Amino acid sequence: MSAMQELTKGFFKQNPVFKQALGMCPFLAVTSSVENALGMGAAATFVLVCSNFLVSLFRKAIPAKVRIPAYIVIIATFVTLVDLLMNAYLPALHSSLGIFIPLIVVNCIILGRAEGFANKNKVMASIMDGIGMGIGFTIAMVIMATFREILGNGSWLNINLLGEAYENQPLLIAILAPGAFILMGFILGFFNIMEKRRKGGAK
Amino acid sequence: MGEIFKLGFILMFIAVIAAAALGYVNSMTEPIIAQQKEQAKLDAMIDVATTLASGQLTFDSLAVPELENPYAGIDQELAVVSVTDSTGSELGYLFVAYGRGYSSIIQTMVAINTAGEITGTTILYQQETPGLGANVSKPEKFLYQFPGNNATSLLLAKDGGTLDAITGSTITSRAVTDSVREGLAALAACGLIPGEGGVQ
Repeated sequence: MSAMQELTKGFFKQNPVFKQALGMCPFLAVTSSVENALGMGAAATFVLVCSNFLVSLFRKAIPAKVRIPAYIVIIATFVTLVDLLMNAYLPALHSSLGIFIPLIVVNCIILGRAEGFANKNKVMASIMDGIGMGIGFTIAMVIMATFREILGNGSWLNINLLGEAYENQPLLIAILAPGAFILMGFILGFFNIMEKRRKGGAK
Repeated sequence: MGEIFKLGFILMFIAVIAAAALGYVNSMTEPIIAQQKEQAKLDAMIDVATTLASGQLTFDSLAVPELENPYAGIDQELAVVSVTDSTGSELGYLFVAYGRGYSSIIQTMVAINTAGEITGTTILYQQETPGLGANVSKPEKFLYQFPGNNATSLLLAKDGGTLDAITGSTITSRAVTDSVREGLAALAACGLIPGEGGVQ
């Protein structure tokens, strides 16, 4: 696989949310607005690239039997460092992204890619994989957040689309937890139908 | 047996490096973060105090012996700052209200005039649900309704008052409203501002 393919496979073909069903917890939790989806996507992509880089760099030094605890220590350390440094030197960014950073530790995409890709592949390919998966995760969250924010708040990226009357009486369930599960069902179903069509056409 | 020790040592080695890196960065960033928090608090104080009056203002932290602390239940202290203008006449007070929200203790900075009416509020700290309770930080979503209210009128519409809660975030809205009202009531009870139980 070329570097370009490593990058683009995460967008749709192996999209972490729609295809691998990874990262469901943040996907459901922070997609209530597009702004949050973009923030979480950016923070997760950054940590994903860094952890993929380190895991790939030390893939021969870490014994297979203790690799999972080693990865968890690497990821947790990295997330904490990002949190501290951002808090000290980029306080404005930290106050808007701050709540997502602790959530990244429990984002299974990061551990999933460390285990499933970075510990078997070279450093460059792992970085590309990290960027691609991060963008794929962001795309998935923005799609979900677009539906939820428009239905539940009448706006997109805080820009009012549907007018005052809708904003006062929105379809509130869309931004609450049950709405997230219902919409996720529809979106995953849609992607499965597309996948079936694509495969059916190839036969 | 030998392998267990070997694996244990490798894990310990990784953990020691991680701990050293974290310890170093923490010691480096801790003073900067603390300083920024102080600065943010000061900025918020100046920000809400401008709703009392513009121009040169003086802040004095005020120790009121008979002040009853309504936030003792959540381990927070009620501290009051008095605001005076350049001629030395007292304009009002600032205090921080603490309320247990949905997923955090929300800190609200409040400015009141000497008549006991809220003139300005801002959220200092909250970790509520993004997209729902976190909207409390956006003044146009909720806090715009606060100015002009006093210790008796500050209530959510659901609790018999006039304030509209943030859609889908009643717990957050109620935490802010109730904590601010309790702070106002404590200030009134010890006679700083007119109100129930205080000097009329």
